Amino acid sequence: MFKELDPILHSQLRLAVMSLLISVKEAEFTFIREKTNSTAGNLSVQVQKLKEAGYIEVNKQFKDNYPQTTCKVTPKGIEAFENYVMALQEYLQVRKQ
Amino acid sequence: MNESEKELSSEESLKLINRMIHEAKGYFHESGLGALVYGFGVLLCSLLAYAVDVKMISFPFSPFYLLVPVFFVQSLIHWRENKMKKAKTFTDETIDYVWTGFFLSAIAAFSANFAGKTYVTITIILFLAGFATFLTGMIAKFNYHKISGIICLLLASVSFFMQDAIIYLLLAITAAMVWIIPGFILNMTFKKQQYAR
Repeated sequence: MFKELDPILHSQLRLAVMSLLISVKEAEFTFIREKTNSTAGNLSVQVQKLKEAGYIEVNKQFKDNYPQTTCKVTPKGIEAFENYVMALQEYLQVRKQ
Repeated sequence: MNESEKELSSEESLKLINRMIHEAKGYFHESGLGALVYGFGVLLCSLLAYAVDVKMISFPFSPFYLLVPVFFVQSLIHWRENKMKKAKTFTDETIDYVWTGFFLSAIAAFSANFAGKTYVTITIILFLAGFATFLTGMIAKFNYHKISGIICLLLASVSFFMQDAIIYLLLAITAAMVWIIPGFILNMTFKKQQYAR
């Protein structure tokens, strides 16, 4: 029986954001936007969805008088990401057989 | 369905994950300036200490005390560069811990100087520098640091047989290998990265 793929992660931009954040301790919003080649508006919406799911933590603060948003993956997010990758691998193995 | 909500096939998902992890790991924001300042500081102090020891010149205090302001300048550069970073990677954090450990151990080893064991202090510092450099190379997967770390450890072993003024020249070579050359490499890569933007 296949594990169901997490619908929160199974979308292009949200998966890209999670894959970036899983590899770093924390990252600024501008860094994520640059690496994912997305627009600020679209990224904000997807970041909000990941935050609501409890997969990432979003911190807003001021740095040199400019607003700065940093994102960080949570333990729940790490677990969800690991489960997602495992489920993907299962799908691929079955397809190879 | 917009692009962000687009469902991916298993292969596409794995490719995307790989690409993003690779992007994040490839990120660095290090001008190499801190390493250059510290490296030239150690190089200058070592050469001065050698000149004083062979009585070529006289100096009112141990030249290594000049490293105190150098250390503050280097720390300031490091702090400013950390502030500019858009992402904090686990690699950067681990390397920072390694070099903080090095500096604390080097300061502790410096106490041997007050007990009149000047040359032994340099041997210990060479060992510490070799160890920290090798670890940095392993963590960052940077072959230059792995090799220079091993060479530095060999110099540290050789220094046991050179407990005289020559040991300062070994420290000068180490400064060039461990801080100055990598500092220039980092600086060139950093400049290339800046031009590419």
